[in-house]
Amino acid sequence: MKTAEVDLKEMGKIIADIREKVERLIETSGGMQCVDRNCDRILASVKMLELNISDVLEFLD
Amino acid sequence: MLVSGIDTYWNPVLETLPREKLKELQFKKFKRIVKWGYENSKLYRRMYDEAGFKPDDLKTWADISKVPMLQKEDYRTAQAKDPYPYGDSLCVPLEKVTEYHQTSGTTGQPIYQPDTWQDWEWWSESWAYILWAQGFRNTDRVFIPFGYNIFVAFWAGHYACEKLGCEVVPGGILNTEERLLKIKELRATALMATPTYVLSMAETCRNKLNMDPADLAIDKILCAGEPGASVPTTKKRMEEAWNAQVNDHAGACEVGGWAYECTSQPGGMHANEAFFLVELVDIETGEPIEELNKPGKIVITAFDREAQPCIRFDSKDVSMWAESCECGRTFRVLKGGIHGRVDHISKVKGVLFSPVSVEEVVRGIPELGDEYELIISKKGDTDVITLKVEIDPDSGANQETVEPDLIRQLRLKTNLGYKIEFHEFGSLPRYEIKAKRFKDTRKDH
Repeated sequence: MKTAEVDLKEMGKIIADIREKVERLIETSGGMQCVDRNCDRILASVKMLELNISDVLEFLD
Repeated sequence: MLVSGIDTYWNPVLETLPREKLKELQFKKFKRIVKWGYENSKLYRRMYDEAGFKPDDLKTWADISKVPMLQKEDYRTAQAKDPYPYGDSLCVPLEKVTEYHQTSGTTGQPIYQPDTWQDWEWWSESWAYILWAQGFRNTDRVFIPFGYNIFVAFWAGHYACEKLGCEVVPGGILNTEERLLKIKELRATALMATPTYVLSMAETCRNKLNMDPADLAIDKILCAGEPGASVPTTKKRMEEAWNAQVNDHAGACEVGGWAYECTSQPGGMHANEAFFLVELVDIETGEPIEELNKPGKIVITAFDREAQPCIRFDSKDVSMWAESCECGRTFRVLKGGIHGRVDHISKVKGVLFSPVSVEEVVRGIPELGDEYELIISKKGDTDVITLKVEIDPDSGANQETVEPDLIRQLRLKTNLGYKIEFHEFGSLPRYEIKAKRFKDTRKDH
């Protein structure tokens, strides 16, 4: 079984940064669909990272 | 933090989280989805208001059982009005919906199922847990012998395969023989299908193409839609026919892909407790069941589905909790997978009867073919169970040699007597998706 040293808190921060940056991109797009629709897809993937990593952080020792 | 099982689990943190931590996470997520449903869906608001329940009433784990259960009928009542067709069950603006699916309608008017793109990502994410646990990797070429349509079946499997990096071969439009030849030609390594179709494909392979399915490159098969892959004798038949490991999973259009067998094959399926709250409740009283080996009805909440949340959904499926699995996952195991539906488990001749137990007997007798039919009828005041079977012509057996053993095993397993009918091999119906082998005609009279 493979083991690795993982900084989950750092991962949580990076995930939050990605969300913030993508939301900022949408704010600056002026409604360009090629930006907004692709950002919407990125945010759906960011949500999956949040479900997998960010949500659990407060319950780890 | 030292994380072990990086290569063993899709998410080594969540899948091995200590139970008490997992429960804390679940409660947080449960509160979040209940609040979401109450604030955004007229259906949930109406249900909860009528029951005198408010999301803030959720203070402790025990409060979960105060949340009213959702029935299929509740969706039906809420739907087919504006915003059309989802009506009061929709929690997001209609323009955020990107996917439409519906239930098969076996139990009445189909349920319309909207999903946002985020929901669709969530579908494939929950399926990624399933596939990884069953050994699917980016080196697999996965053949899906199923025509995608308005039913959700295998759509999410396809998207999850892509997420894992597998190569997906959509074999929908082909017939069974063409599918088998394509599997051979491409040397596909994995397959997804209902148990009925896995067996039917093997039969076609042997009898129409003169090929042994065990010689194909398929080494893993994911089953869905029917309990077969958790019925030991059916699983054995499939594994021997294909020389592949066969694993079960459970999912539903309204719920998501919520349970999976892992390669350790613990005799049941892990509930994905990071994404779903899976409760087992007493069929009669609705009281929670925590003890092992006691059958109960499954009530499911999907924690993270936004367009049409599924909160304390009465699945009407029956199972029981089992011992933990050696694979290291802390997600609980449902022993024997799904045993059947509450409405299929009924009293026959005064005895509690589950059709799955008959399947276990039929598939355990090697001289019998894979197909069978089970009909319960009434003659006067007496219940009659008719079991139609076929003898495998390659076995060299006949009715006289098989019938006594079949009757004895059925009596042992179900404590009931049967009227056995032997039919010519190949004459009973064959199915491509879900089989309809069980009929209870007593309700028709």
